[in-house]
Amino acid sequence: MEQVYSQLEALGKSERRVAMATLIGTRGATPKKEGAKMWVGADGQVRGSVTIGGCVDAKVIAEAETVLSAGAARRLSMALGDEDAWEIGLSCGGTVELLVEQLDLEGALVRMYRRIAGEIEQGRAACLVRSLRDPAQSLLLLQGGESEGTLGTPELDRAAREIAFARGASRSETIAGEEAFFELHTPRPHLVLVGAGHISMPLVPLARTLGFRTTVIDARPRFANRERFPEVDEIKVGIASEIIGQIRLVPSTAVVLTVHDYKVEVPVLKAALASSAGYVGMLGNKRRGKAVLEMLREQGLSEEQLARVHVPLGLDIGAQSAAEIALSALGQIIAERGRGRE
Amino acid sequence: MIYGAVISEHYRRPRNQGALESPDAVHEGFNPLCGDRLRMEVKIEGGRIAAARFRGDACMVAIAAASLLTDFVRGLSIAEAAAFPREQLLAALEAPLRPSRLGCATLPLEVLRAALRERL
Repeated sequence: MEQVYSQLEALGKSERRVAMATLIGTRGATPKKEGAKMWVGADGQVRGSVTIGGCVDAKVIAEAETVLSAGAARRLSMALGDEDAWEIGLSCGGTVELLVEQLDLEGALVRMYRRIAGEIEQGRAACLVRSLRDPAQSLLLLQGGESEGTLGTPELDRAAREIAFARGASRSETIAGEEAFFELHTPRPHLVLVGAGHISMPLVPLARTLGFRTTVIDARPRFANRERFPEVDEIKVGIASEIIGQIRLVPSTAVVLTVHDYKVEVPVLKAALASSAGYVGMLGNKRRGKAVLEMLREQGLSEEQLARVHVPLGLDIGAQSAAEIALSALGQIIAERGRGRE
Repeated sequence: MIYGAVISEHYRRPRNQGALESPDAVHEGFNPLCGDRLRMEVKIEGGRIAAARFRGDACMVAIAAASLLTDFVRGLSIAEAAAFPREQLLAALEAPLRPSRLGCATLPLEVLRAALRERL
């Protein structure tokens, strides 16, 4: 999810009035998923995108300008690609549904986005639930349990609260007989590397380029230090299984064990598999992986938990060097994240 | 079984693993190369070891040694616990250890001694 408030803040410096288009539904193949946004200013600025450019974005800009003139929010359904594109196979082929609305830059919705930005900054998720019957009705739900606004009735608010964080992605749902859009805002994805060996070294800069916050954990200060990891966000030296228990492991967290030592792998995996970490991977061949999983099985972990461990780690791209292994691991993490959104 | 029944048993079911509430002495030590890391916590009552507990990520040998050691020192005076014989601990493991693994077996003892040092 793009940082909505920072976009609005930037737009607010030069635009008096802004329309916001939100992708609230997709069918078939679409380049962007629910939650993607595009902003169109009355003075001409365009930010973001609900596709990857092209004719649909152009239509959205036109619709946004209509909304800026008329004032009322609109729901639109658009097929990706025109007849010519279909004919020569250039179309994505999917259909997108959009909510296009005018934003009051001093209004309640923008204040909610400001609050969401504060929550994200603190590493917490937030879910903004929009009534699709009446987009003026919005309920902001924070991960800590606080809320702001309403969807119109206590029954709707209660139903929204029950499912807001259940799926790790934005989506439209029918609750208490009404359609609502659940706009999930999550902190930056977090890569937790257990092991400060040579495989972890290229993982950190590559993960940073991909937008991850990074943490390296190791028992050995000789390995876990700034000289070896100049770009890492945090280094934690100590008992890895204890440290992992102090880190919030949420669906946007990927835990990667490069330590290649059962004494750390077994207790760390036990902790990671008790959490809702979105990805858990361990460096090692099938034989080692089987042995470590067997030790965890003996300690009472269920087959469902054990099935979450990716071992061998990474996509099969024939990786040999540390950098190639890093690439294959991050490729798999991103692929898993994509699957979670489907 | 490479290490024998005692190490296997104490690794799988370690005694005294975990933390103490308000310990009187604490120390964390590690092997800088292999990364075995243990924290030892000790409760002292009337100059004697009332309880010793440990936690950490360490190999089978180190965990088994920590498990045995924390049982052995209970009831000893601080000085007796700090001087606990290395040979007695190694013998209790009931397994021949290669020289490279002796450091694993004695890590808990070194950590315990460091914890008790300032209480002597």
